[in-house]
Amino acid sequence: MKFLAKKYWGLTLFSIIILFILILPLRAQTKIPKASLPVLTTSAGQSNDVNTVNIILEEAGIKYDYCDVPDVDLIKSGVGLADRESGPGFHVEVYTDLSKYPKGTPYKTIIFAIGASLKGMGASGLTVETEEARLKRIVDYCQKNNIFIIAVHVGGSALRGAPGSDNERMIDAVAPYANYIIVTKDSNKDGRFTNIAKARNIPLTEVDYALDLVKIFKEVFQ
Amino acid sequence: MIRIKIVLLIILVIILTISGFQLYHHRHYQIPIVAGPGVTRVLKLSHYLPSLKGSMADTWVFFLEGQEPGGKVLILGNTHANEPEGLLTALVIIENGQVEKGTVIIIPQFNHSASRFTRPGDGYPLFFEIPTSWGKKKFRMGNREASPLDQWPDPDVYIHYPERQLLSFLDARNVNRTWPGRPNGLPMEQVTFAAMELIRQERVDLVIDIHGAETMFPVTNCIVAPEKSAKLATMVSLTVKAMEKFDNHVEPSPPKFRGLSHREIGDYSEAMPFLLEAPIPFLDQPTGPKTERLLLDGRDPFLLRLARKKKLFVPYDETGWPMDKRVGQHLSVTLELLKQYSRRTPDRAIVIHNVPRYAEVVEHGVGYYFVNPSTVSPDKIYFN
Repeated sequence: MKFLAKKYWGLTLFSIIILFILILPLRAQTKIPKASLPVLTTSAGQSNDVNTVNIILEEAGIKYDYCDVPDVDLIKSGVGLADRESGPGFHVEVYTDLSKYPKGTPYKTIIFAIGASLKGMGASGLTVETEEARLKRIVDYCQKNNIFIIAVHVGGSALRGAPGSDNERMIDAVAPYANYIIVTKDSNKDGRFTNIAKARNIPLTEVDYALDLVKIFKEVFQ
Repeated sequence: MIRIKIVLLIILVIILTISGFQLYHHRHYQIPIVAGPGVTRVLKLSHYLPSLKGSMADTWVFFLEGQEPGGKVLILGNTHANEPEGLLTALVIIENGQVEKGTVIIIPQFNHSASRFTRPGDGYPLFFEIPTSWGKKKFRMGNREASPLDQWPDPDVYIHYPERQLLSFLDARNVNRTWPGRPNGLPMEQVTFAAMELIRQERVDLVIDIHGAETMFPVTNCIVAPEKSAKLATMVSLTVKAMEKFDNHVEPSPPKFRGLSHREIGDYSEAMPFLLEAPIPFLDQPTGPKTERLLLDGRDPFLLRLARKKKLFVPYDETGWPMDKRVGQHLSVTLELLKQYSRRTPDRAIVIHNVPRYAEVVEHGVGYYFVNPSTVSPDKIYFN
């Protein structure tokens, strides 16, 4: 530090602090990637947050198909989800623009709303183990078929838990294999998603409120 | 020995006389409801089911109609009369709201009989007072169920109509278990049937049933919505969190739990029902005495200790959960439901002005929005 005159020390320190402040958010806020339609939404853990994702897509004006518990065969059937109808423990909604993407068009993106609900899993006849296995099959299928995976966690600390708990197992089943992770700050208080994103080089966006996803999804599917 | 018995008898008579007088005063105390500038019509619920006429189950229905046609919303307060945030929210809208488009229909004391009854054995205050700029406005503190003076005897088990689900005997007097009701049933079944008739005849689009729930009960600080209302409720929940910084999550209405407004109204009419819950520490069991102060400020040292042990379902600190906050949340969620519904269905829009939102109620207090009954024409004042 001999080459720095004493009077510049303060200025140097100030510059370092400003640089740190500017760089810090960039670590969490990476460039938003692009994804393609048609898109399927589903739940990883059967919490109510998949409804949140669906509503946000509607607000963003993005047409989607939804199934709470699809397996690989149903995803393979593409847009329209083989005309399956909702029943107890199984819900299907088809909103994809069929004039642009006729029935059977393979999905190019799948959005997983992560969050475990024992009530939700129970209503669909699932256990944590069978839900994990279902998610693994879907993730494997997506990776083999170049389907873009978006992992979303907007449930905040209520849908987080100790390592190995139901919520964390759902995160482990999806987030490390995602092509893009979007979380609320409440959901990422411990930096778990930031760590996964860094370790796997996955783009991650952190938002203040779930409602902020409207803007993000518009950009992703632009 | 006889002398002791006589003394005990006299003490008993004195106790019965004093408490009897207090209960008589409570049952007959009248709460003035001021019909504000937006009120265009006032009917009795018996208009939709004449058999209610003249009974304690009958109650006022206020209409706030806009110049432009649009959608219709029914707002229910005091479904449970021991959750008075529902009544206060309804009164703020009745006394201040002005509708531009569509119709807002409000029943502020839906279970009128329950508002004239107290909870035996729980030491509820009989009255509570809300400070205003012109003095204190006094309200009866009611109970969850209708008074047995108005519906008696109770069955051993209440068999819900028409689903035949077996419910607690007390639920026969609970108007949030007797939906959709029947015209020739128990008085509380008649109340809900009359409201269903109102919903069907007036072509109501939305029904908002306003409640309070314990902090130790998971279904609190939330909007309970069935499948048909879930998307709108979720959008409202996301919006109030982002714009007004308070949590109000969405709870699904269980399809197999019958008799509740958020289930039966949706199943037996075209309307979309919503049940709003704000945390009311007064109703929790492990609290100190059930005082008027606890009812109003929601501050309790026992709940605070439980909060530190993470036993509550809502954030809780030394500030408690005051009435102003509860009413403010209900008003904001109600207004946001109308706004989001209107955005999605412009031809059935409901536009209302002059109703305060959360931050305003927290800043000024709910009493700020009550009109002094002595300053308005007597024909604008309604007593149930």
